[in-house]
Amino acid sequence: MALGPLLGGKVRLVSDEDILMIDRTARSILAETGIDAGGEPFLEIFAAAGADVQGNGRVRFPGRVIDDAIERTPKRVLLHSRGGTPPLDLGGQRVHLGTGGAAIRVLDLEDGCARDPKLADLADIAWLVENLDNIHFFLRPVVARDVPPDSLDVCTFYTCLANTGKHVMGSAASPKTAKDVIDLAVLVARGRESLTENPIISFITSWMISPLTLDTGTSKVLMTVAEAGIPVALSSAPVAGSTAPATLSGLLAQAHAEQLSGIVFAQAIRRGAPVLYGTVPAVADFHTMGYAGGAIESALLNAGCAQLAHSIGVPVYSDAGLTDSKVPDIQAGYEKGMNILLIALAGGNYIHHSAGMLESMLTVAYEQCVIDNDINGMALRALRGITVSPETLAEEVIASVGPGGNYLTQQHTLAHIRTDEYFVPATADRQGRVAWETAGSIDARERAKAIAREILQRSRGEFIPSDVERQIRNRFDLANCEA
Amino acid sequence: MIDAIKEAVLTGDRDKVVELTAAALEQGMQPKEILDQALTPAMDIVGEEYERGDRYVPEMLISAEAMKGAMARLKPLLAAIGVEPRGRIVIGTVEGDLHDIGKDLVAMMLEGAGFEVTDLGVEVTAEAFVQAVRERNPGVLAMSALLTTTMTNMPVVINALKEAELREKVKVIIGGAPVTQTYADQIGADGYAPDAASAVKLAATLA
Repeated sequence: MALGPLLGGKVRLVSDEDILMIDRTARSILAETGIDAGGEPFLEIFAAAGADVQGNGRVRFPGRVIDDAIERTPKRVLLHSRGGTPPLDLGGQRVHLGTGGAAIRVLDLEDGCARDPKLADLADIAWLVENLDNIHFFLRPVVARDVPPDSLDVCTFYTCLANTGKHVMGSAASPKTAKDVIDLAVLVARGRESLTENPIISFITSWMISPLTLDTGTSKVLMTVAEAGIPVALSSAPVAGSTAPATLSGLLAQAHAEQLSGIVFAQAIRRGAPVLYGTVPAVADFHTMGYAGGAIESALLNAGCAQLAHSIGVPVYSDAGLTDSKVPDIQAGYEKGMNILLIALAGGNYIHHSAGMLESMLTVAYEQCVIDNDINGMALRALRGITVSPETLAEEVIASVGPGGNYLTQQHTLAHIRTDEYFVPATADRQGRVAWETAGSIDARERAKAIAREILQRSRGEFIPSDVERQIRNRFDLANCEA
Repeated sequence: MIDAIKEAVLTGDRDKVVELTAAALEQGMQPKEILDQALTPAMDIVGEEYERGDRYVPEMLISAEAMKGAMARLKPLLAAIGVEPRGRIVIGTVEGDLHDIGKDLVAMMLEGAGFEVTDLGVEVTAEAFVQAVRERNPGVLAMSALLTTTMTNMPVVINALKEAELREKVKVIIGGAPVTQTYADQIGADGYAPDAASAVKLAATLA
């Protein structure tokens, strides 16, 4: 199966007129209400960019400051892999799907219990994802709870890079660890210039706390990453009814304002800094006020954000594949199926969370990665649509079979059944009942577990060459990074 | 009058609750009577409706806010006749963590349930928690963290309480997305609540 890019943008849930109105409202929010940027060095940075900065930390943005920043922002961002796979080509309507999150629980593949993820889980999930074609990138899905906080960022990136050749994205807790991670990636990429030209890693920074407030700690990490020229996703996660208005368009207006302010910030740090428009919106469940990632409204919001990002031409980091279910069950299936298909059709460029996630963003399951690989595959197949050409219209073969015949043994049939015309999910059962019963009457979850076990037993590739491994060990103490 | 106040609390009409409470006092009703017969029973109904799933959190909070409006007027009068609040609680988000919405929600619910709450805000250092416990003498200290990287400051606060010889005087409860009962046990907290409504129940058993 060929990896992306595939074109989305086939579904436009919000009209162009309404997108304009949301954009206008966002700009008005930035001009009138503004954001709280805390203090220095942020106020100075925003002032230098031309924003209106008040001593109390409030920053307001004239329209031309926003337009200048959008103008400077790359419209296309390439995220590289290792091992010969073409880079993820982010921008336009090109769709890619991958893991996401920083889950704090993992479902044990054998006993099914939720437990603390270890570094070994991160390594295993990376290897699993390496072997699943419809998961295009690896955003570290779990937080290894057996690693001391001081070593966590370097160990996380090292473990990801050592177990998959796919593009690796992660976070850093401080500017210092961000620099360490970049140094690590420089060694793997064999040179600083090579890393900035072909970024094999990128960062996610939750630089903003909705509503409209800079997270001053994470913003310093963002500065470090942007200064280094490494691509970074600007993540803000407004929740309708708690940290954003309860109405979907109100949330979109606030979220878009937050993103625009982040784009101004990133471009003020480094002209041309590669950034991804990164809203991670959701609605709350009003009974618990919890993040309802699997709600259909959350999917609508993500589709809206993709359209807003497209409207300003900035590549978009989207969110699909969340479910509020705690286990890979029917709820997980219908929520994921709906939101992954919808966001892919909406043209999310870098759709994270679309493999393995359960319990919103709190739990990852191995078998769910395998199931989501199939959901992603179905969504990508939907994006390819229906090819219409003289060959696929098959008029010749229809004539040769004629009325009453069949197509089973036609060359035309044989030529097409193993092509992109068909996607065959590995976890779906399409046998007759008797055959299914003979095979043990197992469901998709059990089939997915078996696939996961088989992949985990495969001998693993060497993703970090031994000479680079030596250099890494000279530079870093990896004592805490033994997965 | 009692029914009107109850109804206004149930619909979350703060202005009306304040106005009716003032009118009731003027008519000679006792502060304790207003509290026991109107406000507390109204909030009990709110709680029951929430438990049944008939009331959303924002609909519960708006009633708690209405109740607070009346309490602002009644509190000094109740204190003057020696009526103590249900309990004192100090609450805050731990050092390094700027997230406040979960903590705010718990604080509002606790106030609505009749507790006296001192909210220390966000990025609260261990020293600030210790100082507040010393000054306010609360029955419960409640800590919140949203991040795996900041929840590790919770045991720091517990240790600081021990060093200040205050640990035995206050119950410590914790909450937040990455926090679990196991973690609470591990760091020696007295309780953990997965959501705001459970936090109120937990506080009621400990305060």
